[in-house]
Amino acid sequence: MKLFEYQAKELFEEAGILIPKGELVENEADCGRAIDKVGLPCVIKSQVLQGGRGKAGLIQIAATREEALLKAHDLMLNRKVRKLLFEEALSKEKEIYMAVTIDPVECSALIMASSEGGIDIEEIAMKMPDKIIRERVKTFRALFPFQVRNVMFGLGLKGEAFKQGASILQKMFELFKKFDAELVEINPLILTSDGRLVAADGKLSIDDNAAFRQKRYPITRDHFESDIEYEATVKGIPYLQFDGKIGLMCAGAGLTNTVYDLINYYGGSVASYLEFGGPNYRRAAEAMDFTLRNKPSVVLIVTFGTIARADVMAQGIADAIEHLKPDIPIITAIRGTGEEEAEKILRKIGLEPLSDTEDAVKKAVELSMGGAK
Amino acid sequence: MSIFIDSETRVLVQGITGSEGSFWTKHMLGLGTPVVGGVTPGKEGQKVEGVAVFNNVRKAVAETKANASVLFVPPVFAKDAVFEALDAGIGKIVVTAEGVPVHDAMEIRSAALSEKVMVLGGNTSGVITPGTAMMGIFPYWIDRVYRQGRIGVMTRSGSLTNEVTAMIIKAGLGVSTLVGVGGDSVPCTRFVELLPLFENDDGTDAVLMIGELGGTMEEEVAEAMGTGIFTKPLVAFVAGRTAPQDRKMGHAGAIATTGKGSVAGKIKALEKAGALVADRPSAVGMLMRKVVT
Repeated sequence: MKLFEYQAKELFEEAGILIPKGELVENEADCGRAIDKVGLPCVIKSQVLQGGRGKAGLIQIAATREEALLKAHDLMLNRKVRKLLFEEALSKEKEIYMAVTIDPVECSALIMASSEGGIDIEEIAMKMPDKIIRERVKTFRALFPFQVRNVMFGLGLKGEAFKQGASILQKMFELFKKFDAELVEINPLILTSDGRLVAADGKLSIDDNAAFRQKRYPITRDHFESDIEYEATVKGIPYLQFDGKIGLMCAGAGLTNTVYDLINYYGGSVASYLEFGGPNYRRAAEAMDFTLRNKPSVVLIVTFGTIARADVMAQGIADAIEHLKPDIPIITAIRGTGEEEAEKILRKIGLEPLSDTEDAVKKAVELSMGGAK
Repeated sequence: MSIFIDSETRVLVQGITGSEGSFWTKHMLGLGTPVVGGVTPGKEGQKVEGVAVFNNVRKAVAETKANASVLFVPPVFAKDAVFEALDAGIGKIVVTAEGVPVHDAMEIRSAALSEKVMVLGGNTSGVITPGTAMMGIFPYWIDRVYRQGRIGVMTRSGSLTNEVTAMIIKAGLGVSTLVGVGGDSVPCTRFVELLPLFENDDGTDAVLMIGELGGTMEEEVAEAMGTGIFTKPLVAFVAGRTAPQDRKMGHAGAIATTGKGSVAGKIKALEKAGALVADRPSAVGMLMRKVVT
């Protein structure tokens, strides 16, 4: 789970990393007070999880109070941003990139840093890989002082900035371990004209699998673009929403991705993508409910389960159809453990179960384009 | 012939008294797997499907000479269970649990690499040599997927594996050993580490790799094919060509992998290395037929 910038900065501040003076606002009425607190000029930052906020116009700079209020109004009303972070604008001497992430190949924590921080960092990494300093840390071991020094020398920091940078990196690594992070990133880390290193942005992403021992930041509606995505996630059912026509229900991420590809391959479009395999295979009825809520024109169900028994999934689907009475076609290819029984259950409620994935996809695409039922 | 598991492997089941553990113990035995013991703390003296249960791995190994272990324990306890198996000298470990924390997986893989033990998973169905033995979760009785033959299969997925493997059976071929490395972002064994095993296996003529978007495992396989580590034919299917880009890792993901991870990039690298890449599952059988006669 990604934390919002204001949450990451809360952790940075507790750890002793300098952050800009800031104020979080949830109601437009509080914007004036926030501006008074952080001063002018100020930066208005939308608290959303999408990347590239600057380029998308979700981060604004304002020189006057009127301008700030107007821009905040626009973001909250027209861009539907729920939370804004007002911050003091910093004078920049230098923008640094610093991150701690996971290297699955070397099986280590990977520190990456660059003296060319800012919004073009990915491009710099591609075109000038030498500009990225890398240091690997076996997670069993501590981050050694020599490794921290290597990074600081690489960044060309000197004197007080060297010491501050070293302390910040050490703290980022501690946060990485303490919070089961997949990523701790500061971009940019600003060297101000008065010689302070300040985290102007902050990203911290917590491993979803560690949620049982990382309970400080629960998932909220703010993390999602739609109510259905939020409610499905709370119930532990992976669900993504698109604007196409076929409501896709599959068991297993690999098969779901494959069927998604096949729908595109045969010229169809996906309305939603839902997985009800693994521990969720007894929840076909709930899965069907979520899928129908996005108003697809066809539902396509493809499974090939092992633990996820085909007969149990088919019964769940039969129950859901009886209960919800959808008036759209439902195409199934439900195979695996218990498939003969599954076929009987589906035939009993009047469906024509298919056994080949591509046949099922072709049929669903055809129906979604207005073909005969 | 086979890799990882055969009729001589002496298998232990950690978490044998749980519902999944006992259910799949029955089926592992059903296929002919030599399951020699089980472990559940506090349940020593019980039997599951005729298999003796011990309180700890150390004693189970001493009594049964087990040399491999399959774990049916919840993800929260997976790290402890793997380290207990390592401590007892077990040489091959399968972690079926879905949801092992990434930092735990990194510790497991680090330890496994330094002790030269192969750990499969987490989030894997395990490993099966059809007709002989298995460690994990496979409906081996589904004849149109699990038929003996000479194609090695390695996969990141569960249900997709059934879907794709069925295509090589349909083409009249069969499976030597099927290995699931698991669907997690830090698998404890990577595809490329299986290649030398398949290369040296007399029972394997070619390999089917079932990959997915994200990570760099497929690119590593392509690189290894260029170095001569693996010289047998390889057919690949990679899921997620049209999937929406995952921006979860922010800039760092893209910088760390310098642009690797996309399905298009994986396919390009594999084809350049001489692999045949299927654009749909149904094309896998035909491609495999091209490379093995």
